[in-house]
Amino acid sequence: MCPVLSHLDGRFESADAEAEHRIAVLYQEFGGPLLRHIRKSTGNDLQWAEDVVQETIVRAWRNSARLQWEPSLIWAWLLTVARRIVIDGRRRKSVRPHEVEPPEVDMLAVPDGADRALSAIVVADALRSLSEEHREVIEQTYLRDRTISEAAEILGIPPGTVKSRLYYGIRALRELLRDKGVAG
Amino acid sequence: MHEEVAAYALGVLDEEEIEAFERHLETCASCQQELKELAEVPGQLDELKHQPSASEDDPPMSMSR
Repeated sequence: MCPVLSHLDGRFESADAEAEHRIAVLYQEFGGPLLRHIRKSTGNDLQWAEDVVQETIVRAWRNSARLQWEPSLIWAWLLTVARRIVIDGRRRKSVRPHEVEPPEVDMLAVPDGADRALSAIVVADALRSLSEEHREVIEQTYLRDRTISEAAEILGIPPGTVKSRLYYGIRALRELLRDKGVAG
Repeated sequence: MHEEVAAYALGVLDEEEIEAFERHLETCASCQQELKELAEVPGQLDELKHQPSASEDDPPMSMSR
């Protein structure tokens, strides 16, 4: 991948033209990979995923200092930006009750066919094999679209403890999934 | 502060915490490295959030290594 901003030294007739060009370059570099990645998080809702990518690119453009980072770090950061936009969207959609509460891990159905179903089973298995403390904070934060503060209140433990358990739980989960060859 | 990298990657920090962590991230090489390692875990967890779809699912593109 070529450096994102290295070829932006040229002269532009206006600030608007430069902004347009920078956004176009960001789309070219990251738009496709972001869309592929985010579609999985929107349940293959392509329109929603495209909106998320667009918003992510605009936010990235507003934080142009970060675009001096190495591409793999820019990518990781863009994913966090996109993730928060998806979560905001899920929260807005949460008036539809069946989308609020994900099923308990133990109750996940085993769907037929697709590789995607296999991945879900592998991820559910990995989650189950974590310690209770680690699984609990992952379920009560990310899987239910709750912040650390909200989960801490529900679990009756300090936010710092939730953060710490989440850190070790997510690291453990990553190791398990890497061993099983599940891609992100 | 370092342990917040997981919560940051998952998008479950409050607004002020995000800003504080991103300031930290600017200068912390170990958190930058960990963020790259953890960045795609949320996408894996999303496998549990949606019913499988019949449409094609492109292979993920990993740029982290």
